[in-house]
Amino acid sequence: MPAPNPSIRIHSGISSSGFHVLRFNFSSGFRFFSMKIVGLFEILLLFGDSRSATNPLGYYSPSVQENKVIDDLLSAMVGIEGRYISIRKVRGKEGRFIFLIDASMDLVLQEWIEKMFPLCNEFLCICQFVETKSHYKHGLVNHAFAAALRAFLLDYQAMVAQLEHQFRLGRLSIQGLWFYCQPMLGAIHALSIVVEKASAANISGSSTLNLLQSQANAMAGDSAISSLLEKMTECASSPYLGILERWVYEGIIDDPYGEFFIAENKSLKKESLSQDYDAKYWKHRYTLKDDIPNFLKNAAGMVLTTGKYLNVMRECGHNVQVLLSDRPKLMNFGANHQYLKCIKAAYEFASGELLKLTKEKYDLLGKLRSMKRYLLLDQGDFLVHFMDIARDELVKRPEDISAEKLQSLLDLALRTTAAASDPCHEELACCVERSSLVNRLGTLKDLEHGIKKSPAKLSENNKSVSNINGELDEPVNITGLDTFSLSYKVQWPLSLVISRKALTKYQLLFRFLFHCRHVSRQLCVAWQVHQGFRSFNTLGTAITRSSLLCRSMLKFINSLLHYLTFEVLEPNWHVMHDRLQTAKSIDEVIQYHDYFLEKCLKEFLLLLPHLLKKVETLKSICLQYTAAVQVLMPSMYISDPDISDSLASSKGKKPKGRGQALKPATDCTSVRDSIVSFEKEFNAELHSLGPILSSSSQAEPFLTHLAQCILGSGSDQ
Amino acid sequence: MPREIITIQVGQCGNQIGMEFWKQLCLEHGISKDGILEDFATQGGDRKDVFFYQADDQHYIPRALLMDLEPRVINGIQTSEYRNLYNHENIYVSDHGGGAGNNWASGYHQGEQVVDDIMDMVDREADGSDSLEGFVLCHSIAGGTGSGMGSYLLETLNDRYSKKLVQTYSVFPNQMETSDVVVQPYNSLLTLKRLTLNADCVVVLDNTALNRIAVERLHLTNPTFAQTNSLVSTVMSASTTTLRYPGYMNNDLVGLLASLIPTPRCHFLMTGYTPLTVERQVNVIRKTTVLDVMRRLLQTKNIMCSSYARTKEASQAKYISILNIIQGEVDPTQVYESLQRIRERKLVNFIEWGPASIQVALSRKSPYVQTAHRVSGLMLANHTSIRHLFGKCLSQYEKLRKKGAFIDNYRKFPMFADNDLSEFDESREVIENLVDEYKACESPDYIKWGMEEDIYFVI
Repeated sequence: MPAPNPSIRIHSGISSSGFHVLRFNFSSGFRFFSMKIVGLFEILLLFGDSRSATNPLGYYSPSVQENKVIDDLLSAMVGIEGRYISIRKVRGKEGRFIFLIDASMDLVLQEWIEKMFPLCNEFLCICQFVETKSHYKHGLVNHAFAAALRAFLLDYQAMVAQLEHQFRLGRLSIQGLWFYCQPMLGAIHALSIVVEKASAANISGSSTLNLLQSQANAMAGDSAISSLLEKMTECASSPYLGILERWVYEGIIDDPYGEFFIAENKSLKKESLSQDYDAKYWKHRYTLKDDIPNFLKNAAGMVLTTGKYLNVMRECGHNVQVLLSDRPKLMNFGANHQYLKCIKAAYEFASGELLKLTKEKYDLLGKLRSMKRYLLLDQGDFLVHFMDIARDELVKRPEDISAEKLQSLLDLALRTTAAASDPCHEELACCVERSSLVNRLGTLKDLEHGIKKSPAKLSENNKSVSNINGELDEPVNITGLDTFSLSYKVQWPLSLVISRKALTKYQLLFRFLFHCRHVSRQLCVAWQVHQGFRSFNTLGTAITRSSLLCRSMLKFINSLLHYLTFEVLEPNWHVMHDRLQTAKSIDEVIQYHDYFLEKCLKEFLLLLPHLLKKVETLKSICLQYTAAVQVLMPSMYISDPDISDSLASSKGKKPKGRGQALKPATDCTSVRDSIVSFEKEFNAELHSLGPILSSSSQAEPFLTHLAQCILGSGSDQ
Repeated sequence: MPREIITIQVGQCGNQIGMEFWKQLCLEHGISKDGILEDFATQGGDRKDVFFYQADDQHYIPRALLMDLEPRVINGIQTSEYRNLYNHENIYVSDHGGGAGNNWASGYHQGEQVVDDIMDMVDREADGSDSLEGFVLCHSIAGGTGSGMGSYLLETLNDRYSKKLVQTYSVFPNQMETSDVVVQPYNSLLTLKRLTLNADCVVVLDNTALNRIAVERLHLTNPTFAQTNSLVSTVMSASTTTLRYPGYMNNDLVGLLASLIPTPRCHFLMTGYTPLTVERQVNVIRKTTVLDVMRRLLQTKNIMCSSYARTKEASQAKYISILNIIQGEVDPTQVYESLQRIRERKLVNFIEWGPASIQVALSRKSPYVQTAHRVSGLMLANHTSIRHLFGKCLSQYEKLRKKGAFIDNYRKFPMFADNDLSEFDESREVIENLVDEYKACESPDYIKWGMEEDIYFVI
């Protein structure tokens, strides 16, 4: 019978070594052991049958039986068949073994032995798992897990070796063996469950980690087991955390076996941001996969953006890395949530750096201001000049316009106006689109969520517009003035914020403003035509009437411009500008900027087709009127010098200069008639706008502002 | 250099206010007295080229023509510290230096005599600009040179540059004090005819009101010319800020004027400015908000034009249009709220025959001129009460004409030779028509004014 003292020593030796042993052997020992185990295992399986041809055990007395069987059992515990215990693989069932014992064995002894078989079985399962998963193709997590298991098995084998030593000294009984194995029993059992589940589901990466963690949590009642499982989890997650570290500290995905929970879509290029309206770069270049380790579930979004930010900076050639010394290791992800703090710190660092980079080095706000200046006409003097010099080019059909010529005129206009002092003016380019603003808006389907509207109503409006103007879907007489737009070169990384989509929205705003300005200018030309009649007595002629109509139109278009600029652009811009100052991340910046554009588009009426069409109709009446005025008004003069002389001398005094006089009112009825018809059409259209605005203003409060602007203080009129 | 504006200053008064105007522009753009851009003013974003051009040595030269028939004021300018600012080729002083003797006819006639010389100067300046937008004339209507020569210039400009705008800053005489120019009513009437027929826009600077403002608002007992002129230069520079500091709208003169002027002849604008300060004057600094500024601009006491209207008539008077140019740091939401408030309180009486509302232009302030107030505002308004000012001119003319006083001085000149005084009658008729038209504007039926037969066509 064994003496109690050494056995206690063994016992304590095993339990105290626990994971220290495991750690130390972690890297150095496993290769040797794996060879050895593989070797033994295979040989035994091959020659097992031939060795069993010894005397049956019942031949011996129970004490001798015990002695012999313990020897065999110790072998079986490390997967080696003995004379009386044989191991059979279950066909078709991976990792299941059947242990056969000599039936002649003492029954009591048999019971003891069979108690030990699960342990042996589980050992073999774990061994097999270690064998199969020790290849990198199963992923780094499985590999690390297998390594940890191997180290644990080493501990186990050490225990068996010590037991064997005791046995050789004759101090080990079957009861003693059972007793000493107790601590290992639970551990091996728990691990085998994990291994079994892992191989059954053939999982890897974060799923393995999740399994380990959930098992550890499930065993929370048994502190020894749960701490063992936690250690295992820790070991298994160490390469995973390595990937995570590189991602949150460097923005690099170093994930050869696709285990990380962030996927990279390399086909999405950052250049697409400034070219493609529907560019998905920012949203889809890096995405979260479905299987996120549980311990990172809440922080996954933050982890994703942290790396994205770092990645952006790296793409800028801006080498931002957290210094190695400053990096808190992400090793522990225990209950103290230290790793979450590390991730948060990394996130704040990355987001702060990127924001600083875009704001300071790439001068985001300066760029936005400059875009506001040109595309939102915040300093419109260059446009005045440009429209002066580019007029002849812009009145052509869009396809006849020479973009090069327009570009050189634009450059000229920029150089000679206040814009010259702005270094960003070189980023501007002309573009002439082919479709009218309304049609262009129709092609951008994603914009039309502003207000609910039935498609039937839309088409009805379409019809009515085409009826009024006698136009097809694409107006036949469309000119560069209807389709002119500016484009702005935006470089990475600012293209994150000012993407193609954002730029397109800017362009839509610009085109609307530009056309309003054009109408306003034409009305000013008409106004100047009227001014030419100052020296005549215009009382009772169509001129006064026309002047007043011109005034109403000017009032309309200027009020509209006032609304667009001072009540839409400026306030919204200020809100955005203030928000951008305090934004904490680039995503917030993008969000605020997009919100600004969206709100402006909406308040510009661009998302309200029925109103937009009304306004477009009004503008087109104005343009038709200005064109008519330039023909009609000169016809009011009598340019024959003789007649004018006689008329003048009859009045007694020479009207200086001109040599012209006014036709009598009765000769100008056709002029008056056309003025009056313009007046009717314009007023009818304008007044029909009132009810629409007031009925829609409940849903969209900004329409109240517009109504007050356009319909004036006397909106009760 | 697009949309340039050439300033022509004629006569004693015209040159004095012109001088003040250029001083103010130099200050605002950081241009030194010699036309050199100050070091601190190189990062502007402002538009200097509307009113200045650069010489070969890069110094800035005003697009200004200085004309007078007597040398005193121009000599003063040429010996002042600003003597190097102007292009000396652009200065015209008549050879004899005798002036126009406060006689419109003399000024007009002398203008006619030297038309080649002065139009040479104008043409040269006009050729020097890329796309000239128009001319600004500074003058007074009461004296001889500014009124007579100015009138001649207006006619000539209208003739030769019919496509260009002509805006004038016209100083109307102080009616409160007995003038040393007894023939002032004649001169005013004759000039007013040209202002009506030959200018696109007249900014009326009424000396009576300027004096009143100086006394009442600035508490000066005896305001000097320099002090009232500084009020004028403030108004002139403020009314051009949207051209010089471009914003969303009103970046050209035509855009600025077109919305203010409904019919070709109703082009006389009143101005108001707040808060007013005069140099070296310690003023109580008030809190300025957009609403305060807009509200004050609507108060008659701040308007630089006296109406002479009796109460009953004054209540009929209406605004045809208002443009408020607000300078300084303004939160655009305040603009909306202020307009809303003014509308609710019905502070403005607008014409009823068409849409009308206060237009607002926001403009930056020059960073180089320190002011005590955060927000300041200029109002340009077309108000029907201006007809009372013309009415006053007419009645003064009638009084003098009835007596046939001083007519002889005019008969000496070709226009009135052979006792042909039809020019007077014609001028009176033009002004009467103007008064009638402004009066008609007060009626809701203005649109149908003079078009009675139209009823058959329209309705």
